[in-house]
Amino acid sequence: MRIYFDYNAGAPLRPAAREAMAEFTSAGTEGNPAAVHFSGQRARRLLEQARSDIAALIQAPPRSIVFTSGGTESNNLAIFGSVQKTTRRCIVTSAIEHSSILAPIEELERRGFNPIQLPADRDGKLVVRNLDVIDQNTALVSLGIANAEVGTIQDLRPIAQAARRAGAIFHIDAAQAAGRIPLVPAMSGCDLMTLSAHKLGGPAGIGALYVRPGCSLAPQLLGGPQEAGLRAGTPNLCGIVGFAAAARNAMASMDAEQQRTAMLAQRLLRRLEMAVDGLRLNGPREGRIANTLNLTFPEVLGESLLIALDLEGIEISMGSACAAGAVEPSHVLLAMGRSAAEARSSVRLSLGWNTTTEEVERAAGIIPLVWRRVAAAEPETSLPPSDAEWWQ
Amino acid sequence: MSPRVLVAMSGGVDSSVAAALLRNQGYEVIGVAMRLAPEPPPSSTPRRRGTCCSHDDFEDARRVAERLDFPFYVIDLRAEFHARVIGNFVSEYLSGRTPNPCVMCNREIKFDRLWQRAAALEADFVATGHYARIERDQTGRFHLLRAFNESKDQSYFLFTLGQREMARTLFPLGNLSKTEVRVLARSLGLANADKPESQEICFVPDGNYAAFVSRNALSDQILAGSVRDSRGRELGRHSGIHQFTVGQRRGLGIASGAPLYVRAIDSVTGDITVGSRDSLVSPGLIAGSVHLTHPDNVSAGEVAVTVKIRSRYPQLPATLQIIDQAQAQVRFPSGGPAVTPGQACVFYRDDEVLGGGIIEAALEL
Repeated sequence: MRIYFDYNAGAPLRPAAREAMAEFTSAGTEGNPAAVHFSGQRARRLLEQARSDIAALIQAPPRSIVFTSGGTESNNLAIFGSVQKTTRRCIVTSAIEHSSILAPIEELERRGFNPIQLPADRDGKLVVRNLDVIDQNTALVSLGIANAEVGTIQDLRPIAQAARRAGAIFHIDAAQAAGRIPLVPAMSGCDLMTLSAHKLGGPAGIGALYVRPGCSLAPQLLGGPQEAGLRAGTPNLCGIVGFAAAARNAMASMDAEQQRTAMLAQRLLRRLEMAVDGLRLNGPREGRIANTLNLTFPEVLGESLLIALDLEGIEISMGSACAAGAVEPSHVLLAMGRSAAEARSSVRLSLGWNTTTEEVERAAGIIPLVWRRVAAAEPETSLPPSDAEWWQ
Repeated sequence: MSPRVLVAMSGGVDSSVAAALLRNQGYEVIGVAMRLAPEPPPSSTPRRRGTCCSHDDFEDARRVAERLDFPFYVIDLRAEFHARVIGNFVSEYLSGRTPNPCVMCNREIKFDRLWQRAAALEADFVATGHYARIERDQTGRFHLLRAFNESKDQSYFLFTLGQREMARTLFPLGNLSKTEVRVLARSLGLANADKPESQEICFVPDGNYAAFVSRNALSDQILAGSVRDSRGRELGRHSGIHQFTVGQRRGLGIASGAPLYVRAIDSVTGDITVGSRDSLVSPGLIAGSVHLTHPDNVSAGEVAVTVKIRSRYPQLPATLQIIDQAQAQVRFPSGGPAVTPGQACVFYRDDEVLGGGIIEAALEL
């Protein structure tokens, strides 16, 4: 049996979601929620029920939920949609965000906007010494509440207040946080919030953007009145039904599940720390989503460790995959002040709702052996000094 | 348990068929594509994260792995390649020599760095799509042999292999012709069966080595000088010795009745000496960094061998004398072609590669 420790990239489908989708498809998938007939009305009922369920998770009104194709689309809609109806030219974000935040903002920079990146400390916590960077020229503040790679949870309230005072739109990327930490406290002061189904055990390809009623957002997909005019296109109803079921299930079992996951992750960490000399946890010990272990293994390339563990049946990840499928060192770790060499030696293990004690025990036995073998086989690992020097 | 083999896959038809053959022979195949060449400079904004390699070749290799159902990984060896192959390529050209980066890549990357990775992954063998053969005799000694198909033979690039490397290296294509490989690829349903072959050096896709070297050099590393005839008369000037290779005819910028060829490049003065085609003939050469595929391959004294002194030259009859571990002297009884310092000189006896070295200098008449 393979051991799956890559929940932050995509969690296995929860049985509740699978059942809900099976029920939906076996009852017949025909019917466009926008159609007049009976099938259309059935589809519409299911769509609106799911919308209410998702809205209830964050105690928001149902009409504030816009279904999208996932976290990436939600982030793109939030960012491009926020800056279209304003003359403000500044966007505040941070260096540790997901690439679906960083890349749209880079694109806006090419179009003449002025991005400001808040720095992060060595634990991946945002450093906000001076909230004056958020001012009358700030169109948007876009930040993640729980970091995908190291798990750090941010206290966004002071920033939300500053954004409100300045009249800027405040966007929270909660793709990794939903189902893992309560999001209701973050709702005050939040204008937009990204949610993703497959990070919490729903299907991939479906997500949502919470849009506070009254928030001025421009649609990015045109061609229909769906989703209150904010996202044209026939909705992915099967995915939405699965998303809602997974979200209900994740919320109902959140406390117990998070305690269990935290206990398992702690056990894995302790065992690895005992067996691997010089192992380092990236991110804070406290104030993190407990399922995520970002670890620097001394004297190995993360890439080698990842492949060697895959061949042993343990699936982990590292940084982000490039188009060709090679792994790149994490930009988050670099932003946290790690050297390129440290980032290249770091991997991420993320656990979740279906992880078992037995899996943790087995992995804790195998990983140190594989680490020792890889370290012995590739002793004089030469690492590039810095990416900049490549292009001389 | 079947032996595990790490197959270096480029996405081309050769390495794809190599992987497929091993898979059909019952090996546990793990495909790897090596990311070697640096990406072109980022064009737009500075500080781009995750410079991405949308390399179609890797996708071709991945499709082969998916079709034949074995695991496949892209591994990043750019740092090593940059330090050990590109760095050498640039510095060799800057000092007036003509390097062979494929030889360096085999020595430093495929049969060194990749082997470390294979050990990390508990692989018993490394395999490539090279056209060459390795045979083991009754005494347990390994022999590196030319490919069955002489026109595709790549043994020239592999002379740095030793007994240790050959014991754990597989060349599944050594007995096949290119036509047979393409037929096999089609019968296996590989989409890249008819993909054209790559000809240029992988990190200089436009083939303009001089421009690549200039881009990768500091301005004070570039040595300009005079173009002179064999009597020392200046015929013209040139803007850097890295633009020349011994035996070169084109691009000298000299108008002359008879065609002129580069005879020698002086890396101290920057002088390029040119002469007629006949003046290129050399009685022999000195090779450095000598390596033998087995230490007993060449006995003391002068030994009759054939040698290849550029990848596209034929094998020439020669006498070989190993001077010490680092140096060898090669003599051509009937005169040899242009000797190009920096290129590999590979020693053969019949089909077998005895070893080789890097050409340091031509012997004077």
